[in-house]
Amino acid sequence: MRNYLLKRILYIFVVFIILSFLMYLIYNMIPFNRADWIADQQKEFYKKDPQGLEALRQSWKIKLGYIDASGKEINIFRRWTNWLGITKLNGEFNGIFQGNFGVSYSNSNRPVLEVLKEPMKNTIFINIFATILALAVTIPLGIKCAVKKGSKIDTGVQVGSIIGYSMPTFITAILFIFIFAIKIKIFPVSGQKTPGSEYTGVKAFFDKLYYMGLPLIVMTFCSLGGMTRYVRASMIEALSMDCIRTARAKGVKEKTVVYSHAFRNALIPIITLVVGWFLGIFSGSIMIENIFGLNGMGKVYIGSLNNNDYDVVLTLQMFYVFISLVGNLLIDILYGFIDPRIRVSA
Amino acid sequence: MKDFEEKDKKSEILDESLVETSASGKAEETIEETVVETKPDDKKCRVFLSRLCGFFKKAGLTVWSWTKRTFCGASKELSDDKKFAVEEIVSPTRQVVNNFFRKPLAVISLLIVVGMFLFVCIGPLVRGIDLSYMEGYHVNIAPGYNFMKVPSKLSKNVKSISSYSFFSVGLDNDDNLYVWGNTKMPTAANKSDMTKLPDELKGKKVAFAAAGYDHAIAITTEGRVIGWGEYDCGQYGDKGSLANLTSTVYKMPAGLMNGTIDPEQVEQLVCGYQVSAIVMKSGKVYAWGNYAGAKNLRALNSLNGVKEVQFLRGKCVALKKDGTLWFGNANASFDTLEIEEDGQVKFVDLSEYLASRKVVRIAATSTALGMVLEDGEFVVAGLFSPTKTSFVSIPDFADDEDIIDVGGGVKHFTVLTSKGKIYSFGENYLGQCNVPKGSFTDTDRLCVGAFQNYVISENNSIKTKWGCKGYLFGTDEMGRDVFNRIMHGGKMTMTIGAVAVIISTFIAILIGCISGYFGGWVDMLLMRVTEIFSAIPFLPFALILSAVLAGSNLTENTRIFMIMVILGLLSWTGLARMIRGQVLAEREKEFVTAAKAMGVKEGKIAFKHILPNVISVILVSVTLDFAGCMLTESSLSYLGFGVKLPRPTWGNMLDGCNNELVIGTLWWRWLFPALFLLITTIAINIIGDTLRDVLDPKSSSER
Repeated sequence: MRNYLLKRILYIFVVFIILSFLMYLIYNMIPFNRADWIADQQKEFYKKDPQGLEALRQSWKIKLGYIDASGKEINIFRRWTNWLGITKLNGEFNGIFQGNFGVSYSNSNRPVLEVLKEPMKNTIFINIFATILALAVTIPLGIKCAVKKGSKIDTGVQVGSIIGYSMPTFITAILFIFIFAIKIKIFPVSGQKTPGSEYTGVKAFFDKLYYMGLPLIVMTFCSLGGMTRYVRASMIEALSMDCIRTARAKGVKEKTVVYSHAFRNALIPIITLVVGWFLGIFSGSIMIENIFGLNGMGKVYIGSLNNNDYDVVLTLQMFYVFISLVGNLLIDILYGFIDPRIRVSA
Repeated sequence: MKDFEEKDKKSEILDESLVETSASGKAEETIEETVVETKPDDKKCRVFLSRLCGFFKKAGLTVWSWTKRTFCGASKELSDDKKFAVEEIVSPTRQVVNNFFRKPLAVISLLIVVGMFLFVCIGPLVRGIDLSYMEGYHVNIAPGYNFMKVPSKLSKNVKSISSYSFFSVGLDNDDNLYVWGNTKMPTAANKSDMTKLPDELKGKKVAFAAAGYDHAIAITTEGRVIGWGEYDCGQYGDKGSLANLTSTVYKMPAGLMNGTIDPEQVEQLVCGYQVSAIVMKSGKVYAWGNYAGAKNLRALNSLNGVKEVQFLRGKCVALKKDGTLWFGNANASFDTLEIEEDGQVKFVDLSEYLASRKVVRIAATSTALGMVLEDGEFVVAGLFSPTKTSFVSIPDFADDEDIIDVGGGVKHFTVLTSKGKIYSFGENYLGQCNVPKGSFTDTDRLCVGAFQNYVISENNSIKTKWGCKGYLFGTDEMGRDVFNRIMHGGKMTMTIGAVAVIISTFIAILIGCISGYFGGWVDMLLMRVTEIFSAIPFLPFALILSAVLAGSNLTENTRIFMIMVILGLLSWTGLARMIRGQVLAEREKEFVTAAKAMGVKEGKIAFKHILPNVISVILVSVTLDFAGCMLTESSLSYLGFGVKLPRPTWGNMLDGCNNELVIGTLWWRWLFPALFLLITTIAINIIGDTLRDVLDPKSSSER
């Protein structure tokens, strides 16, 4: 098991490095030179001194690693290693491995991590909440449909879930805003907290929940369709196993058969799905955050893309990659926990 | 296989003969009926008729049984009929098709998808789209065809019809007032409804009525001047929030607000964009309203000897009793004329061109002024140029053809000539220049609204009408037809989805087959590549790639193609893995060994022998991915990173609908594109699901 994990971690590291190069390459395809941009902002002061402006430009180019001290252009590969912090830039290691993710130029040059702190908290909050809600609905529903296969409830849920997974997030969101915020006024249309309020403690939490209510419902609803189908399918497969027939023949209670015997066997595909889905909603919440105006990572991502704030974009992009790789590792580990067979064979 | 097919054919023959016997049995009955009517000696005819009847019976029965099978499933039919109780052996492909068509939901979905496909393919050919088109007078119009629904009482007895934007006001000869068109203005400041008349007008006889952009003015037979509709910008009264700001609004004269005028002495009542004017027979003018509607409004009030006033967008023009024109400070817009002489375009000074000739009548569009001179010539000054493809140019009138009546809409003129002919010319995007064929006489009258034309005959009834009837799905914030945009947007969305799926399937088949068949280090390498690709988070990566594309200076078409490629490149991994798995299982089978023994090339075995065996997986995945790619494209476009406005897709039509006003009040702007997208993707997904069940006998037996 340990060897296996080490192998996986090494593999993930390699993939991460490769993807980071790919991302860096794409990021550098954008015709945008940060040094020129910074220097051009000082244009007013250097109106009568074009040489001074040029010198400033050069100094920024050296500082940001576009050229070296002798004025030679640094190639993309070296710039990438500098950015990672494997090689020295201007005499010191200063890259993401040292914790330097760059600065957010649209946020008065604050460090990226500082800019991302608050949005990250919000995103993780809604994502975890949505996951719990979705699991609480889909797993019992899927099991029920699998057990009562072919019944009216099952057919209804099947039809509903097809509609559910054919519906893009933004249409669901607009529809739910129309129904729950405009026709029946239970939720606010958008926003994060009551404007001007200074709540603390429990009151602040409930205020937050009130504003997050609709986004959470939309996120949960969007995942219902696909997940219910998946849970149902894997439960049906598990229920048709020989061990279930044996258990029933032995006279084990139906509840035990379903929830203990069958569900454990159905868990493996479900785990894959749940973890995959959890990772998916990190990027999926880009839509939700933009529609509801929540200050989350998705909104920062879109905003930074529009403002050419590429240090933030790159950091977030690497974060998404990292999350998805770690998620895959997590799936592997969880398999081992759930299924002893895998633990032994690994 | 061949045995199966032969049996299949036999069963078909059996089927046909069965239908024939039953049909001929019934056909005999019909013959007896026809005998009574036909002459007994006309044998040939009788035989022919009976054959014809038989044929139709047979065809009808076949069609009926098909329909029944499609919607009710064939199982019932089979169990009813003893003949079919023994199960026939069918070829696998036929079995799949049969099974598919036995599911009513799948058949309905297939019909929907085919219908949608035809709609987005043929629709754009029928009605083109002008991407730069916008119509400021038709912004956020609710769905419905009510622009030309003239009340039936009025249409028999018309005195006048007036309209300036999206609603019309009419008067009959008994001085009753009628309002129709898109009368609700949910986005305006006061959310007024034009059909709600003020108390002062209820049950009153009206002598004059005119419609403006968002207000209307009526003069009752008692001489009261009453307005209704929007009043915020000083259209009438003094209640509006801007009404007392003398810099933006010229107030309605106090004498009109509270007192009365003699309706007998009124020559003309005319309204424009938040402005109104009353011309008296004495030549005096009362004009008021928002300066945005007419900058030279104030000077109009001090004018004398006026015969007629017309409002254009932003200025007004007056025709004096002595046949001269008054432009106020808007002179510059009209002082040159564009004249074509001997094939060359020349600019002539208007006053020079008119010389001593008098102007008899004037009509105005939003930017151009049409003048009828005393010798019957028609001259257009101002901005009236064929910039659009849908432009109808000014016709050449015959020398002895005088203009009798003229009217101006927002972007077109309509004239009636002494020869009893009617011409409409100007922009024709909304069909306002499509004069229907009909016989007109020089005793007819014209009533020209914003985008509508009515011809009133001598006995005051409406002879014919043409123009913009309204919008099936309403209009958006730029006055563009939502239905038309859905049609063109669907074409774009479906094309992008289809091409992306083709690209991704191609890559998946290539990688999956090679990886599965050859195994070893090839498999190892390709699977690692696949894993790297599947580790890329989809939406963020697609966004950053689109941003890169947006930064580069590609043409719009290349950019759209690149979006298809991006979608294709990011979505092949799942299918590739599935194909690899299937190929791994297939390549151990005997037929592969046989092919190898026969010396077939490796590549040929992989792609020609094994691939057809995994086609079912591909088929299902292609269908489901098609819906998925359409959704992704819409999401990207919705976020503003896919296809850019003004080019429509189903996703970016919802861009900008993300606020309370649009979602709550202007529901047609998001509901219709969303519905089309939803119905299409649901139908495609149902087809994909059914295909999966049908192609995999195990899963369908489980159900």
